[in-house]
Amino acid sequence: MGKARRPVQIIILVFIVILGGYAISSAVFGGGTGKPEPGDKPPAVKLLGLDGKVHTLEEYKGQAVVLNFWATWCTYCVNEMPALQAQWEKWRDQGVVVLGINTGEDEMTVRNFTEQLGIDFPILHDFENDAVRNYGVVPMPTTFFVNKKGRIASIREGELDLETLDDQIKQLVNP
Amino acid sequence: MIKNTKCECGHQNRVGTVLCEACGKPLEDNGDSTELLEMRYDGAARRSQRANPNWIDKVWNFFSSVKVAVYLIIFTLIGAIFGTIFEQESNFVSFDPSTFYKEKYGTIGDLYYKLGLSHTYESWWFVTLLVMIGASLVICSLDRVLPLYKALSKQKIKKHMQFLTRQKVVYQGPVSENGAAWTQRAIAPLKKKGYRVHTDGDALLAEKQRFSRWGPYVIHIGLIVFLLAVLFRGLPGLHLDKHYWFPEGEITKIPDTNLYLKNEKFTVEYYTEEEMSKEFRETGKVVPKLFETKAVLYKCTANCDDPSKEPVLTEVKRHAIRVNDPLNYQGFKAYQFDFDLTPKLRSVKPVLVDVKTGKQYGKFQLDMTDPQLKYELGPYTLELKNKFMDFSLNEKGQPVSISNNPNAPAFLFLVKGPDLPQEGVQYIYFPKVIDKERFQQDAINEKLGGLQNKLALDVLGMEDVDFIESSSYLNIRVDRAMPFVWLGLGIVMIGLVMGFYWHHRRIWLRIDDGVLTLGAHTSKNWFGLRREVAAFLKTMDVDVDEKDLENGGNRS
Repeated sequence: MGKARRPVQIIILVFIVILGGYAISSAVFGGGTGKPEPGDKPPAVKLLGLDGKVHTLEEYKGQAVVLNFWATWCTYCVNEMPALQAQWEKWRDQGVVVLGINTGEDEMTVRNFTEQLGIDFPILHDFENDAVRNYGVVPMPTTFFVNKKGRIASIREGELDLETLDDQIKQLVNP
Repeated sequence: MIKNTKCECGHQNRVGTVLCEACGKPLEDNGDSTELLEMRYDGAARRSQRANPNWIDKVWNFFSSVKVAVYLIIFTLIGAIFGTIFEQESNFVSFDPSTFYKEKYGTIGDLYYKLGLSHTYESWWFVTLLVMIGASLVICSLDRVLPLYKALSKQKIKKHMQFLTRQKVVYQGPVSENGAAWTQRAIAPLKKKGYRVHTDGDALLAEKQRFSRWGPYVIHIGLIVFLLAVLFRGLPGLHLDKHYWFPEGEITKIPDTNLYLKNEKFTVEYYTEEEMSKEFRETGKVVPKLFETKAVLYKCTANCDDPSKEPVLTEVKRHAIRVNDPLNYQGFKAYQFDFDLTPKLRSVKPVLVDVKTGKQYGKFQLDMTDPQLKYELGPYTLELKNKFMDFSLNEKGQPVSISNNPNAPAFLFLVKGPDLPQEGVQYIYFPKVIDKERFQQDAINEKLGGLQNKLALDVLGMEDVDFIESSSYLNIRVDRAMPFVWLGLGIVMIGLVMGFYWHHRRIWLRIDDGVLTLGAHTSKNWFGLRREVAAFLKTMDVDVDEKDLENGGNRS
């Protein structure tokens, strides 16, 4: 009896450490609002693109991604569109992708708008606002800069001008 | 230090034993004390008590201490109090906690938020305390229940004299009979009182309701189940508590599930003047009597994860959701929470009118979201070129939409047909009459190509206008850990009943040279035990007042 006690003790302590450790670590790391923060992996998306195909972030593995949440009715989003287009043209050869996520508008509205402004970076439809929720986007525009390692490098809320955008992308390409 | 733990009866006791495991002789003092005995765990050593503890034993010993457990519980209670000072983040629907507390409660509120007390019950230190209480529950119980079980299941019938005389209920007196005969005669009356009786020559042990001793440990098992359920409530898929809007007549996807909910009809009824008391009428408040959402729940069965395809939905549940009467589908619940009666335009069915002849073409449905792009109306073709849900003009004079809500919808068509140029003429249409005037539809169309003099889009009557009359705000909840919480509490209840309504009573007696020595022990209700012993002695022709059975020691 005396000898059999030790393994039982150890098993019980191991159980307590595993279960307790899980509970505590989920309180420390899993807690909060669930909003992604710099350093996190960007939440997965599976959205229909304006090109009629389904896209996920996996496709852009190894590339730096500028994830821009926008809508045609959001003045600041509209204002920064030309800057995004310009940066897309400038950086696309260096492994940088600009992804525009339209928040809940019709295809026609989006198509008209992009054609009018001559935008040709990939646009994804977030019809059900799933991505908006998973990314915790509140004001628009919100832009997530994802580095080549697939981690969020920074998050910018509000309108971005050409210079800031250029700066941010430079940091993604040459950290 | 090696202590001799061998009792005079020859039994080798373990370190920490208070009363000899075999004969019950007190081991701690030299036999000259007359104090009442410490009967906890029947004097057995707790498992963790060792001569040379190593670090595992030390951890074990820490958690096996009731004193530590009491402190843990006190700290947890104090911690829990902090969580009740201001509202918790998790309890409210939508606000930004980083500004909310400062705005509502000032500096103290800000401090409260910064200390992380706005989510006390999810904080690492609170969870750590709960985990430690859990560890303490498991280890405390094991440390005591096993030695106690062993001590109770191999009791020696003949106990040491001191063990008997230092009980709280004691009787000593002469008997005229032979010891063994007296003992045999005692069996029947004790059995009648529900005791199990064991004899060993002129010694006797009578015991009943031992199982009530397991009550506290059953309570602990229940508490462990409860704690596990609470701690692991947050596992993915076990818990959901969100609020969403469900516009009437629409099928809305419920995020993070494969379920869709259709709000078929929302009804709100208010108390009429007659139904209110006079005092209440004077307050001028309008109180809803009923709000109800006729809801249909669908499960997605195919194409659920492919945004390029329409999901295939199957109806799984239909329910009229009212306050306190949620829709419940296998633990998925939708509660009525709020509503909004602002109507929203869903679609209109206009006709194309030839302004000169008054001739009407078609009646076509124009949806606010995802409208059809081409309409054939008599000889005319209308191609939808653009739409603005909340029409406005920006500083450059270009048409823009200022929100995604159909507050001031406008549709830009390209019209082709007889007497019109080959490439068509643009025509803007505002379904709402008020917008037509506000934005001067005719003036815009004049600039676009002057079609307003030839053709017009018109809604003939209110039956051709379809509104989303209202939206229902539902609280979507899944709490799969709840059955385990109830199970845990149920086990706690069983343990409480076991421990409270039954009493473990034991009576030992031995006869040495015509002198009867009786000792009795119970975990509670000493009064009842004394009376029972006195009654038993009376049937054995020993007349003793129940008060005289009380031993004069100084243990309460």
